[in-house]
Amino acid sequence: MEKLKRFSLPGFILVMAVLPHLLDSSWQEVAITFLVFSVVALSQDIILGKSGMFHMGQGLFFGMGAYATAILNNEFGWPILATIPVAILVPALIGILLAGPIVHLRGDYLLVVTIGFNIVFVQVLQNNLGGVTGGPNGIFGLDSLSLLGVELMSQLSVYYFAFAVLLLTFWVMRNLEGSKAGRALHYLREDQLAAESIGINTRVYKIFAFGLGAGLAGLAGTVFAVQYSAVSPEAFDFIQSVLFFSIVIVGGSSIPGVLLGVFVMFVVPEIFREFATWRYFIFGLAMIAAMILRPRGIVPATFGKIPKFLIKGGGHGA
Amino acid sequence: MARNELILTDVTKRFGGLTAVDALSLKVESGQIYGIIGPNGAGKTTVFNCITGIYKSEEGSVNWRGEEIRGMTPYQIVDRGIVRTFQTIRLFSQMSVAENIMSGRHIKSRQSWWHGIIHTPGSRRDELENWKKVEEQLDFFRLGEYAASPTGSLPYGIQRRVEMARAMAVDPTLLILDEPAAGLNDKETLVLLETIFKIRDKGVTVLLIEHDMDMVMEVTDYLTVINFGKQIAEGTPEQIQKDSAVIEAYLGSEDDDDE
Ligand SMILES: Nc1ncnc2c1ncn2[C@@H]1O[C@H](COP(=O)(O)OP(=O)(O)OP(=O)(O)O)[C@@H](O)[C@H]1O
Ligand SMILES: [Mg+2]
Repeated sequence: MEKLKRFSLPGFILVMAVLPHLLDSSWQEVAITFLVFSVVALSQDIILGKSGMFHMGQGLFFGMGAYATAILNNEFGWPILATIPVAILVPALIGILLAGPIVHLRGDYLLVVTIGFNIVFVQVLQNNLGGVTGGPNGIFGLDSLSLLGVELMSQLSVYYFAFAVLLLTFWVMRNLEGSKAGRALHYLREDQLAAESIGINTRVYKIFAFGLGAGLAGLAGTVFAVQYSAVSPEAFDFIQSVLFFSIVIVGGSSIPGVLLGVFVMFVVPEIFREFATWRYFIFGLAMIAAMILRPRGIVPATFGKIPKFLIKGGGHGA
Repeated sequence: MARNELILTDVTKRFGGLTAVDALSLKVESGQIYGIIGPNGAGKTTVFNCITGIYKSEEGSVNWRGEEIRGMTPYQIVDRGIVRTFQTIRLFSQMSVAENIMSGRHIKSRQSWWHGIIHTPGSRRDELENWKKVEEQLDFFRLGEYAASPTGSLPYGIQRRVEMARAMAVDPTLLILDEPAAGLNDKETLVLLETIFKIRDKGVTVLLIEHDMDMVMEVTDYLTVINFGKQIAEGTPEQIQKDSAVIEAYLGSEDDDDE
């Protein structure tokens, strides 16, 4: 636990920057998955951890980004990079539209509604709505990344693409923390009535959280589509959303917590290959243990990120 | 209508069959320290909730500086300069004292939602300016040493101060305090009285509920006494002390001024 507290983001970034050169191709694959799912889990954290909304449908936004990239590339021949704005904005807008009528719902009701959205989405994909989603098989044979006319076919370039997206996510999360909007999310999670009574339009900020969380998940979807050169409905199934939800709850609403959750969920099972089918078992046990021992998550959210000039000693530090 | 007046006219709020506030009228004038007193369950907090938009009264009017605010949301009312504290303290308990006070700057901050994603020189400046305002409140309420402490772990008396500091960070025109002395010891109550006078001297109108009669008599300029949701008397503290209806309402209800 002490080690986790000393988690340093620069150190982590450094390790991840050199990591792929130490890995063989199959482990690079695992590392890419770790990066992509970390982005999705962090985007889930904006909605669930920071804002306290019980949203269990993040697979929907993740999938929407992936399909946006796949459809635009495969059907309309857009270069992958050109699909990115759409893969961010479409989920973000859908997130905002869906959130509008539901954010006032209490935790358990919101949970059921977001699960419902996720199920409807996967059904739509499976039934090949509009003839563009490819039905149960999905869409395959996407182009690879290309930058300034250079094709970036290698797995290594996919890794660095995923890594860049994770860094961007870190940057957004940091900006969020040091902003009026980010604090508003914390306030409304802690006490909605108090937040309203101090002047916060909680509804607007809840919808904002959904929009931002959905946009980031959509961007992760693009990377996912590039990684496999394909998309298919089951990758964005409701059970995936349950995992992202659980990762934030078990890990805690913090960057190290979320990364640890993703690691336990998606990397540890690869290390113990013969146990791979036991991943839910391992994670289930981790969930139970964490919730009993550390109900606020393994690495809980930390507060007290205030300007230094306000801290006047006194030994009361947070 | 530049005067900072709050005028309630025939405000009525019912919960099922219970009329918690019954055709209540009162007028708080600019610069006053105005008190609302009454026995437990008289409807005092409900009046505050009707003013601050937590409840919408079924009937009557709540007029603030010439504008009807009945039916507005709490944040719209804060935007018009009315801020309140709660009888049962409602802080963001896992967050630090400074962050709690910063919430009061939310409505004054010029940052847009998208500054939560990308900062600009303007948003950084705005952020710093608001933290400086937090520092002013930390100094005013002598909370500097607790700036980084999570509020949930602090003693009750300090939590009450944090809640007032948070409200004052809004730069309100009307500050509404629901039993600010509840749970405070005598020394803390004295400090509170001083603070309330200082707040009034800054030009803020104060409307407060109080159970502690001695304190009410000392601090308020004008009082309304309610019982069963109805006004039974109003006047200066001297007038109220002599009022027979008030004396009667308080007889036998002296036993329970906790909470
Ligand atoms: N949300 C509510 N639902 C139902 N009844 C309520 C509600 N809020 C208050 N009441 C009732 O309205 C009446 C007035 O309550 P209120 O809290 O305004 O009293 P008060 O004067 O503030 O009392 P106290 O001195 O105990 O704080 C009480 O009978 C109370 O039970
Ligand atoms: Mg009350």
